[in-house]
Amino acid sequence: MTTLETFIEHFEDAVEDVAPGTLSADTKYLELEVWDSLAVLTVIAMLNAEYGVSITASQLKTLTTLSALYEFVSAEKAS
Amino acid sequence: MPKCTLDQAEIRGIVTCVPTIEKCIDDEVELFGGNRKQIARLKKTIGLDKRRVVDAQTTAADLCDAAAKYLLRQLECAATDVDALICVTQTPDYPQPCNAAVLHGRLGLSTESAALDVNLGCSGYVYGLWLAQMMVAAGGCERVLLLAGDTISRIVHPKDRAVAPLFGDGGSATLIERSDRSTSAWFSLQTDGAGFQNLIVPAGGFRQPSSPQTQEEQTDAAGNCRTLEHLLMDGAEIFNFSIKVEPQSVSELLDYANLGPGAVDYFVFHQANRYILGNIAKRLKLDPAKVPMRTVEQYGNQSSASIPCALCGELGAVLQGASTQRVLLSGFGVGLSWASALVDMSALQLCELIDYPTAE
Repeated sequence: MTTLETFIEHFEDAVEDVAPGTLSADTKYLELEVWDSLAVLTVIAMLNAEYGVSITASQLKTLTTLSALYEFVSAEKAS
Repeated sequence: MPKCTLDQAEIRGIVTCVPTIEKCIDDEVELFGGNRKQIARLKKTIGLDKRRVVDAQTTAADLCDAAAKYLLRQLECAATDVDALICVTQTPDYPQPCNAAVLHGRLGLSTESAALDVNLGCSGYVYGLWLAQMMVAAGGCERVLLLAGDTISRIVHPKDRAVAPLFGDGGSATLIERSDRSTSAWFSLQTDGAGFQNLIVPAGGFRQPSSPQTQEEQTDAAGNCRTLEHLLMDGAEIFNFSIKVEPQSVSELLDYANLGPGAVDYFVFHQANRYILGNIAKRLKLDPAKVPMRTVEQYGNQSSASIPCALCGELGAVLQGASTQRVLLSGFGVGLSWASALVDMSALQLCELIDYPTAE
């Protein structure tokens, strides 16, 4: 499992119109100006491609922060 | 497991007919609350741009009828020489009788022929090809006319951003004919009914009949507006489903046919949107030049007509009359249903996209 830092980089890379280095562990991604249905798809795709983890839109909605998302992905990868 | 090899028929011609009314996402700034940046992202990443839609008087049957008449005329095939008519559609003229029966009359087929509808969407064209090939292989059908078309633009709510800018209309006609020099075609078909609610028109059937309540507009958490009689799509679930099942379906079919991706000239997927197709192609490590994915941005997602539209619109010139073109077709979506086929197009004499209405 990669570090939280790298995870955030992957996230920034995945979502359109997000500049690298602008997000942090406690970023509430649902509140990002660019967070829309397309952002949901690109994050789902990234988690699948980079971490082999599947996630639903409703799971994304309940996790809310990048650190929570990172923990979810780490746990899924471990299982 | 419905995998099979069929080798008694060839595809002689495919015609897709699209309406001429064109809509463009750039003109729908109001629908997106003035968010031009979002529109730019959707254009760039999902691949939304233009789509062709029918007017209130035109149906999928009309588009299929026009495609079929053009096809039969160009191939110099009499309608009375057709032994079976299959119409794949989820937007028929009537709850009953089926489109195939109505079109049987409009096209002037012989009474000594079979006609039936197949109620599938995105996977429908491949299912239809499978059925047509089986009809020939079973005996008794020398020629099968496969029609596939939908007018999804007529069942989406104009204020539903999840679907309104995405779906277009189209109708197609494909002629499948017995041949003793045909090569093998491989098919595999799958279903997952557990996902039936992810792409659905919830009311207007018999589970929840039409009523004043089902016609009430409701706005969901994402701010999209629709009634229960409009198409409802859970984009994220459909995306998850597609990237999970499609690469697997394609790989398994190639294994079954004992061929590698290098032996396939083109991979023609149901044109859901460019983002999904790009993702699937990347997972399968396919050469992007072999994967047409420009149909949604010109015509929209046309449900059962999307695969024929991609074939006619993007590959028409190269497929027509070329000696060996092995094409893998794969449709996935509503049902949930998916199917893949590896077919030989070497007998294809006609592969054309036409506008509706057509000049006689």
